[in-house]
Amino acid sequence: MAGGNGSIILELRNITKRFGDLVAVNDVSFSVERGKLVTFVGPSGCGKTTLLRTVSGFAEPDQGEVVLDGQNVTKKPPNARDTAMVFQNYALFPHMTVAQNIGFGMRIRKKAKREIDQEVNRLLTLVKMEGLGERRPHELSGGQQQRVALARALSLNPKILLLDEPLSNLDANLRINMREEIRKLQRRLGLTIIFVTHDQEEAMSISDLLVVMDQGVVKQVGSPTEVYEKPADEFVANFVGHINFFIGEVKTLSNDDINLQIPQGNLQVKKPPFPVSIGESVKLVVRPESIDIVDAGKELIGIENIIEGHIEVAMYIGSIIRYTMRAGNQIIYVDKADPQHFGIFQEGCRVKLILKKEIHMFKA
Amino acid sequence: MSPSSRYHFLRNLTSDTWHFLRSPGLVAVTSVVLILLLLFIVFPIGAVLVKSFTVNFPTVTIISKNNLSSKTESEKRVTQTILTALKPLEGVEEIRPTTTEKSSVVIIRFRKVWDDMRGLNDAKRALKKEDEKISPYVEKIDFKLGQETIKSFATYISFFSKRYYYEALRNSIILAITTTVLVVCISFCFAYLGLKGPGIIRGPLRLLGLLPLIAPPFIFALSLIVIGGRKGILTKAFMLPFHIYGWPGVIIAQVITFLPLGYLMIENVLRSLDPNLDDAASDMGASEIDIFFKITVPLAAPGILKAALLVFIMSIADFGNPMLIGGGVPFLATKAYFLWISESNLEMSAVFCVFLVIPSMIIFIIHEYILKGKMYTTIGGKPQQTEKRKISLKIFSPMMAVATPVSLMIVFCFGIIFVGAFTKILMIDNRFTLEHFESPNGIRSLMTSLRFAFSAAILAPIVGVTLSYILVRRRIPFKRVLEFVALLGFAVPGTVMGVGYIIFFNSPPLKLTGTFAIMVINEAFRNLSVGLEAGVSKLHQIDIAIEEAAIDMGASSFRTFTRIVLPLISSALVAGFVYTFMVGMIAVSAVIFLISPGNHLASLYILNVAEEGFLGMACAISVMLIIVVLACLGTLKLLARYTKSTFF
Repeated sequence: MAGGNGSIILELRNITKRFGDLVAVNDVSFSVERGKLVTFVGPSGCGKTTLLRTVSGFAEPDQGEVVLDGQNVTKKPPNARDTAMVFQNYALFPHMTVAQNIGFGMRIRKKAKREIDQEVNRLLTLVKMEGLGERRPHELSGGQQQRVALARALSLNPKILLLDEPLSNLDANLRINMREEIRKLQRRLGLTIIFVTHDQEEAMSISDLLVVMDQGVVKQVGSPTEVYEKPADEFVANFVGHINFFIGEVKTLSNDDINLQIPQGNLQVKKPPFPVSIGESVKLVVRPESIDIVDAGKELIGIENIIEGHIEVAMYIGSIIRYTMRAGNQIIYVDKADPQHFGIFQEGCRVKLILKKEIHMFKA
Repeated sequence: MSPSSRYHFLRNLTSDTWHFLRSPGLVAVTSVVLILLLLFIVFPIGAVLVKSFTVNFPTVTIISKNNLSSKTESEKRVTQTILTALKPLEGVEEIRPTTTEKSSVVIIRFRKVWDDMRGLNDAKRALKKEDEKISPYVEKIDFKLGQETIKSFATYISFFSKRYYYEALRNSIILAITTTVLVVCISFCFAYLGLKGPGIIRGPLRLLGLLPLIAPPFIFALSLIVIGGRKGILTKAFMLPFHIYGWPGVIIAQVITFLPLGYLMIENVLRSLDPNLDDAASDMGASEIDIFFKITVPLAAPGILKAALLVFIMSIADFGNPMLIGGGVPFLATKAYFLWISESNLEMSAVFCVFLVIPSMIIFIIHEYILKGKMYTTIGGKPQQTEKRKISLKIFSPMMAVATPVSLMIVFCFGIIFVGAFTKILMIDNRFTLEHFESPNGIRSLMTSLRFAFSAAILAPIVGVTLSYILVRRRIPFKRVLEFVALLGFAVPGTVMGVGYIIFFNSPPLKLTGTFAIMVINEAFRNLSVGLEAGVSKLHQIDIAIEEAAIDMGASSFRTFTRIVLPLISSALVAGFVYTFMVGMIAVSAVIFLISPGNHLASLYILNVAEEGFLGMACAISVMLIIVVLACLGTLKLLARYTKSTFF
């Protein structure tokens, strides 16, 4: 059996799952490294939960293979797989105490009572629930239930921990605390976790690797930075964070740079990693926070990539201010951090925008 | 009660009472409802209880008019002679003489079971012998038959001392336990397979689990008699040396009769269990068997217990099945009837009723006040798009082994009723015929049934829903008591209410026995709780702000009720109507005590003709009854749809 850090623990090969006419998961392949936290993220109905259920064994794929630690487990039922799941509603057994819930899997495996008790106590400590073992699930808060569900899933030392929207039933503050705790726990114990969420911020903040899905298809697999800065397509770009798109036509090509014509003017940018030719259209992806904004009256000498326009809405959010700009026919969003320090442009004010030279783009 | 909680209780009570008294309309309505509840539920049940503690002794009173001049003379010459003469009399419990100047009165109290006519003749004969001794002093002697009522435990003592009586109690309990266990197991299989079994069997199982609902409650007893009675088709065909009367018949008939009840409740419980729990258990390595015994069954247990308790009550209270197919095995409900109808022993009948009530009351209280809310309703939030788990063969096969024969039995029973209705004499003369339908008495009884069920179905929800409004929306003292009383009519077995009505309404000023009205009132007040509960749950759904808005706009309390509340809770009225109507069409247990010659009901007529052996006719009237019930329900459903689309 393969071992050691960095090796592949889970491989999904061409997984397809249909429900009637609906293709919930369409030909998905990728692999998960040991000790990483991988997040399936996408809008609801994108197939992320179904994909997770094919990993746990609750859904059998119509095509494709699930390979867990070198073993093909596609046909194995959930109770014969080394995976453990935390359900969205936690699925704690209401007729058992917390301790009995956590010890359930070990009891099924007929472990000795003392061993079970010890392990249950260890897990209770691990999830900071010492002394609450005799409570019933309905006597716990949402966050506590979440911890019990986590402890229960960990009780069998699974090869992969599967978390299905585990934080969606918690309130906002608790959600952030819990996700930090999960991340710490994962690092400390070297767990491999697949995490499912529809919340892109949650996904970005917690993951080693993101799997962005839409309509049953994997749109991009990459680290949070890759996905955010270099989205594979329009969907991914839109899904993670706010975005401005510009359609540009390639005018001239040089060794490093290309010159593009956009409706608001000309842009001199770095050549993309894919081949382009003159006359071709590309789509530029510009995050609102990577745009500089200055007063229209300011002289800008030797600076390229300037777009002029006026501010329609200035929305003060505290840590940032978001300007909704109009330049020609296009709305452009610009985020400016630390507005207290840099000052605020009034609505209706004419401004100049400066775009960077490094702009992510894909073929239009 | 601690001092402070007692203080709070009293303070709430006074404040509720104060609020209550400030609104004269409410006082009037509540008083009327209260009087009705007392009159038609509490007093009859109380009357049964009182009756069970009374003993009636036959008495003969001898009144002699004397022509003597003093009391001492009368005493010496007449009273003493009479007493001496009566000495050898048999069956005497007590002799009480009183003497005045002009008369001697001697009351002879005989033993309870003594024939009073015999006592009278014996006394006359005894006095004749002494005729010459007293005749000079006596102008005239009168003999009067009478009764003396005494409070005592005598009837209870004789209940427990005679096997003839107490075995009915034992039998009823054994029957109820057996039926309950069987119904719970079978309906669990039906419900489990209906939800989790392979797709093709789900629909049929659901249908079969509910089918017995539309049938009169003793129809399965009837078809079992057709199949396995003394002249039953199977008994005849295979020359079986035994028949189905007695224990096996009653048990099978009850199990099928109460299957829908168990099925509905258990299915509801199983449906409410979160499928994620199964998934979670399976994820933790549990096999299907583990999941079944460690997750499903324990989670469903409170619901199963509730179902079991209800089936237990129904089985104990059941009248039709033991009556038809009991074959002489005594059970509480039927025996209580026979004690009254053929032995006129209303006191013993009342004692039987007390033993009918006790288990029902205990279970009713457990059910309503202890188990209420103790359910693991685990479904919450958004439904998960889980795939149905495949049912394990180890669970599927034993369940199928239970469900299949029961299903076949249900189908067969129904089939037999229909075939029997159109056949001259099943298995003997298998020619098609319609003659069983041409029974004028049957059709007349069907019309009476319709009239009866309809009247009760109008009355019951009106009282029930009015009560629900008072209970939910108004502050009145002793709410819980009022609610308990209303539910009592439902919880107490029909036989008890029947006997209670006979006792309570048999003498002036409320001599109502023998009238059609008393039958209707009885049926209505036994079914108050459906309208009541529907009304309560509906009212809890309707925001009180709607009513407050109406009052705010200047509407009076009465107007608010008629214009705002009534339209909103009309569905509760309809629910009460439908239920009471259905139950009324197939009523047996209480009304059998109250029917009068002109007012024979179809359900009872079926019992009669079936007992007399006219099975074809019994089947035919059953078929007509089923059709009428279905037709009425269909009409109602159409009506509801029509009114909904035009008014709401």
